Amino acid sequence: MTHKPVIDNPVDQVRLLIEEFTRSGIATLHMRSGPFELLLSNDPAAGALVTAQPAAAAPTTPAAAAAVAPAATPPASAAPAAAPPVTAPGAIPEGAVIIVAPNLGTFYRAPKPGAAAYVEVGGKVGGEDEICLIEVMKLFTAVKAGQAGTIVAVLADDGAMVEAGQPLFALMAD
Amino acid sequence: MAIRRLFVANRGEIALRIVRAAQALGIETVVAVSDADRDSVAARLADRAVVLGPAQAARSYLDPRLVVHAAKASGCDGLHPGYGFLSERAILPRLCAENGIAFVGPEPDVIDSLGDKIQARAMARAAGVPLVPGCDGVATAADARREGDRIGYPVLLKAAAGGGGRGMVIAHNGDEAEAGFHRASAEAVAAFGDGTLFMERFVPQARHVEVQLMGDGKGGVVHFGERDCSVQRRYQKLIEEAPCVAMPDHLRQQLHESACALAASVNYRNAGTCEFLYDVAREEFYFIEVNARIQVEHPVSEMIAGFDLVQEQLRIAGGSPLSVSQDQVRLTGHAIECRINAEDTARDFMPSPGRITRWAPPTGEGVRLDSHMSEGAMIPPYYDSMIGKLIVHAPTRDLAIDRLDAALADFRVEGIATTIGLHREIIAHPDFRANRIHTRWLEQVLLAERKGAAA
Repeated sequence: MTHKPVIDNPVDQVRLLIEEFTRSGIATLHMRSGPFELLLSNDPAAGALVTAQPAAAAPTTPAAAAAVAPAATPPASAAPAAAPPVTAPGAIPEGAVIIVAPNLGTFYRAPKPGAAAYVEVGGKVGGEDEICLIEVMKLFTAVKAGQAGTIVAVLADDGAMVEAGQPLFALMAD
Repeated sequence: MAIRRLFVANRGEIALRIVRAAQALGIETVVAVSDADRDSVAARLADRAVVLGPAQAARSYLDPRLVVHAAKASGCDGLHPGYGFLSERAILPRLCAENGIAFVGPEPDVIDSLGDKIQARAMARAAGVPLVPGCDGVATAADARREGDRIGYPVLLKAAAGGGGRGMVIAHNGDEAEAGFHRASAEAVAAFGDGTLFMERFVPQARHVEVQLMGDGKGGVVHFGERDCSVQRRYQKLIEEAPCVAMPDHLRQQLHESACALAASVNYRNAGTCEFLYDVAREEFYFIEVNARIQVEHPVSEMIAGFDLVQEQLRIAGGSPLSVSQDQVRLTGHAIECRINAEDTARDFMPSPGRITRWAPPTGEGVRLDSHMSEGAMIPPYYDSMIGKLIVHAPTRDLAIDRLDAALADFRVEGIATTIGLHREIIAHPDFRANRIHTRWLEQVLLAERKGAAA
């Protein structure tokens, strides 16, 4: 960016970026700033670059695909019920990519009750590997890793409600 | 069981309105937001906000399973749907019931039957509510003349099989009815393969009048008077008033009785509105439909009744009977509401989303603002363009118009285009002051004059 953005809200900043991107005609824009990562692309295959992508929502048209990982921004939730567990930022190694929930739902680390978790900390994953489930009213959606690497942190509790955009895993890309 | 923690499944000013009503009753609140509404005033004011999904409503506010899942997971025992979005979709109360959540609204079956035009008309007829005079199954030109004579001209001839304005003819006398039959029937055959027509009385200058109802589902129904919502553009209301001073008292009483009879016939629970077309020339009113939700324009009724309708909704959903009897409802003075939209009236009401750089609303006696806006607020481009409702209350309609004019003149908004200027033009128009308006007045008179002046 050559000028200081007039908008200070991160959501608005992304919106502004998307507008600029659309106007520019650039095929793919992939940026990372601290814990924040953004991929904008007109290429449906570009999803492999990105951290999180719900398996059910693979891009079907070459429209701009965007994924945002606001790791440092805790969800806009206050008390009274259990606030989502947010790992201290220090626990996430520098350079890790944050995989976030695509929508609100219940976070499940295993394909069914009693089964082993899809992945543990230290586990290696491929980009197409499913790493958790998000359930909404008995409808389960698998979340894929999005890129190959090693899971370095699990950021939400198994069985807890997670909100859209809430960090689920930290992954160190290969 | 009284609601202890309420899930607010809406956004904008109504989400804020519901949060405040709940807080006044000591009810905890959880507000559902999309990614675009994380910083909304309702989200900040509530005990908690949960992000449902991305900005697109289909993946956040409009997904009933997602909404009820979030309500249950956040420990809510009540859910208020607001207006729009899922408020009149029976699946929402059904899912709530399956999950032990009290829905702030009618029973799902009541929503379904009132939402079906044919069923709703049958229910209205059974409850003795007047419908637009008409008849089905006009098969010959002679039938058309005979029925037209009976119904009274002008009449509208429409294809029984279709809609969308095809095969629609207006007839002003018997000869036109016969000629119109041949034309409309031929068009109907061409379009739908069926030349059968139906006829109904055509009301060239109608007012939109509606009754504010509240039922407790235990046999109790009261009304809070009527509203006149005749200033409309493309069937969207812009200004609403209470009471409807264009209607004589004896008719208003019949109007209230009709609406209450219909609500009682379905043992209605929740706030609701019974909408009517008012034919000023004939002094007759006809049923349109029932809206089974709190409406945008509910504040004008609250102002003249001095009664909080949203709080009453929450009490009733928690199992309480009506807190007032009809004798206790006292309607005083006159109230007018303007819907302030972020739209550019000079550019065919194009939405004007963006950042509000200045927000200085009017204050004063009898002035109320229901809005979720503030200086620096961002109006996202994904939802409707209403940014607030300015409501005034005064002893008479004339005084209310004066008060509204002063309030609109004081209302400063910068950064976006708004309809504030148009509202000032409307209420300054002699037709508005003299109350000579109808549902097509804004488009046929005021906006036409505007175009003429600009040309």
